[in-house]
Amino acid sequence: MNVINKFLLAVVLFPQSLYSRLGVNVLHLRSILTIKLVMDDRRPNTFQQMQRKKSEKPVASATLGTMVMSAVLGLVLLACFSVGKDYINHLTLHFSMYMILLSSILISDFTSVLIDVRDNYIILPKPVNDRTVVVARLLHILVHVCKLVLPMCLPGLVFMIFNTGIFGSLLYFILIGLITLFAIFLINALYILILRLTTPGGFQSVISYFQIFIAIVVYGGYQLGVRAIDSTALEDYDITTSRFIWILPSYWFAAAWNGLSTFNMQPSSIIAVALSLLTPFLSIWVVIKYFAPSFNQKLSLIAGSNAEAAPVQKGKKTISTTSAYASALARLFTKKGPEKMGFLFCWKMTARSKDFKMKVYPGVGYVLVYTIVMFLTSKKVSIASLQHNASQGKIVLLSIIYFSSFILLMAITQIAFSEKFKAAWIYFTTPIQSPGNLVRGALKAAMLKFYIPIIVLIAAPALYLMGLTVIPNLVLGLFNQLLICSLMGYVGPKYLPFSANQTIADKSGAFIRGLFTMAIPSAIALIHYFLYDYIWVVCIFAVLSITATWLVMDAIEKTSWGVVKTSYE
Amino acid sequence: MGPIISLKNVYKSYGDKQVLKGINLDIYPGQVIGYIGPNGAGKSTTVKILCGLISDYEGEVFLKGINLKDDIIAAKSVIGYVPELAELYDVLTPAEFLGFMADLYNLDAAIAGERIIKMMSAFGLEGNIHQRMDTFSKGMKQKVLITSGLLHNPDIIILDEPLSGLDANSVIIIKELISKLSIEGKTIFYCSHMMDVVEKVSDRIVLIDDGVVVADGSFEELKQQQGNYSLEKIFSGLTAKNTVSNAAEQLMSAFD
Repeated sequence: MNVINKFLLAVVLFPQSLYSRLGVNVLHLRSILTIKLVMDDRRPNTFQQMQRKKSEKPVASATLGTMVMSAVLGLVLLACFSVGKDYINHLTLHFSMYMILLSSILISDFTSVLIDVRDNYIILPKPVNDRTVVVARLLHILVHVCKLVLPMCLPGLVFMIFNTGIFGSLLYFILIGLITLFAIFLINALYILILRLTTPGGFQSVISYFQIFIAIVVYGGYQLGVRAIDSTALEDYDITTSRFIWILPSYWFAAAWNGLSTFNMQPSSIIAVALSLLTPFLSIWVVIKYFAPSFNQKLSLIAGSNAEAAPVQKGKKTISTTSAYASALARLFTKKGPEKMGFLFCWKMTARSKDFKMKVYPGVGYVLVYTIVMFLTSKKVSIASLQHNASQGKIVLLSIIYFSSFILLMAITQIAFSEKFKAAWIYFTTPIQSPGNLVRGALKAAMLKFYIPIIVLIAAPALYLMGLTVIPNLVLGLFNQLLICSLMGYVGPKYLPFSANQTIADKSGAFIRGLFTMAIPSAIALIHYFLYDYIWVVCIFAVLSITATWLVMDAIEKTSWGVVKTSYE
Repeated sequence: MGPIISLKNVYKSYGDKQVLKGINLDIYPGQVIGYIGPNGAGKSTTVKILCGLISDYEGEVFLKGINLKDDIIAAKSVIGYVPELAELYDVLTPAEFLGFMADLYNLDAAIAGERIIKMMSAFGLEGNIHQRMDTFSKGMKQKVLITSGLLHNPDIIILDEPLSGLDANSVIIIKELISKLSIEGKTIFYCSHMMDVVEKVSDRIVLIDDGVVVADGSFEELKQQQGNYSLEKIFSGLTAKNTVSNAAEQLMSAFD
């Protein structure tokens, strides 16, 4: 156990006599907390879960990683102080961001760290009394929250000391504590809501969407934050002019800080102070009184759902859940037999595999965020200028098209990998003549799945803003995306879909992949840029591009068993 | 001598689904109980009640004369529970995990440390004591779990499918261990789906189906009642309602 954990453990165990008076067995409490903290240290934290490179090295001192990451997030949150004209504005934004970040981090931690269903089998059958278990759980949550909150508010605290003095920063610290309580309430409420709306099974996937969401928000916040610092337009922004601002709880806290630090007790300040003091305690009371009792029961449902067999669906016929959309696409774009099977298999796996979603969706989010941020922060680009300034429209259109090809590339790289790669025995024990059909089917599924939404997202605004004249270039760009991806599929290492182990992923493909993801799209984009204005040349190239895609796809179909790579021995 | 485990009219429902419909059982020290039944019969519910994981049941349960509803902590101290499915904190090492278990059983650290080394060595895991268990095979984890259930020298040992994942040699060790423990006067509550093992290790078999005890007695007694068949046959005769033999026929007829 590292120093931080030891220190926090000593702090929370300090009121020992109080615990014993409550009927807690302090020795048990100490061992439960110790073991929990040791485990926290060895578990990849929320941030590492996303970009888990899966090194073979066992995770150690994850706590330190968590704290450093929180501190970095705290620094990002400082960007809020450059938005708006006064502290009410700064703090409203700052507190909102803090609340969103903390809630999204904690919501995934609650299932993965704080409430471990294995406790039911390991701790509960032991002669440990209920109070000890409850107190241990509460203290564990407290320690965990401290490890996140303290580093996260540290940059803000330092900033406040320098700018508003000791009193201001003290107020800030207390308010952050109250907001943290409120955030815990929000999480509890969300949990109850999610459990109402979905099955316990669906719960896990909702949680993983939250993790994806955090990753994207953090990235977007970083992108925007860095740019916001030098944009003067935001500095004069004032959100307090609208009455609707009172809907935002973070505004209460900001206004409370403002009222208390300036001793300016207008009625509105008093209301704000009252709200920010009362709501957290009221909400925690609601959590303890109403949420907590059903909470454990509900969570054991999540755990129980794995153990029990799926109930037989009565009444309605169990029909295949292949959507009409997917089967229509399969009919249109694939041959019957292995290729169609590969297509549908990959289509369903990409929709249902948590692993795939966790790897690809954040990337999709990054590209979207990057595109939006690029558009928002560039001062020259506006909707009007896109319509009238041809050369600007050209650059924006092309960069968006070729940027989005990264989404496709990420998806097709990832379909090779699966945590359950051992299930790939199905390919090797069945009489498949040529694996090329399967590979091509899967490749088509991964491409189409992300390609069609991209076409819609790009084509609709482009046609609306730039008119029909954009069609040839749009078509060439979109065809080129297909070409890039199929080339990538052809040149890169050939895996059967979901058959490779990410942990020992073949490093030999990395260089080629890197080359393709960076160089090839840029080169093609550059060529496209020079051809942009010659409509006829563009049309010819579009035909060439789609023909080339066709040929490459044909070549992929000829993949033989000899070149197929596998982790399955 | 009075019974060491005693269930009197135990009922339990989940919502409106009644899982246990009046279980009455008296189990005496030194007995090895083979507790069997089809999926959903109420086996694991019974185990959860005995371990104190479920408290909202009707009826009375006594362990070593202690009513579970009066002093659950004292009752838990006399049980060693080995859960199925290798449920353990696998980022810990066996030494850490077992040390933690010993703490929860209020076992002296020095005694526990010595026992852990002895028991792990007996399982051939002395070289893995300080390795994290996430790299362990299912069998190795199962050995750690069995150790954790025996560490505090309990009088009642509840084993839930303890042989899953173990290789043939380890199976022999566990079987011998069970008979040695019962000679020592320990009571073993053995839940399993593996009829051939239950047939061999247990000296009393309790078969439950749909929340009620449908057969109770030694294997010999069951054979006298139900005919001279294997336990497997007796089991399916009592619980399967003719579906087993038909199922195989239907499977074969799928080719026609």
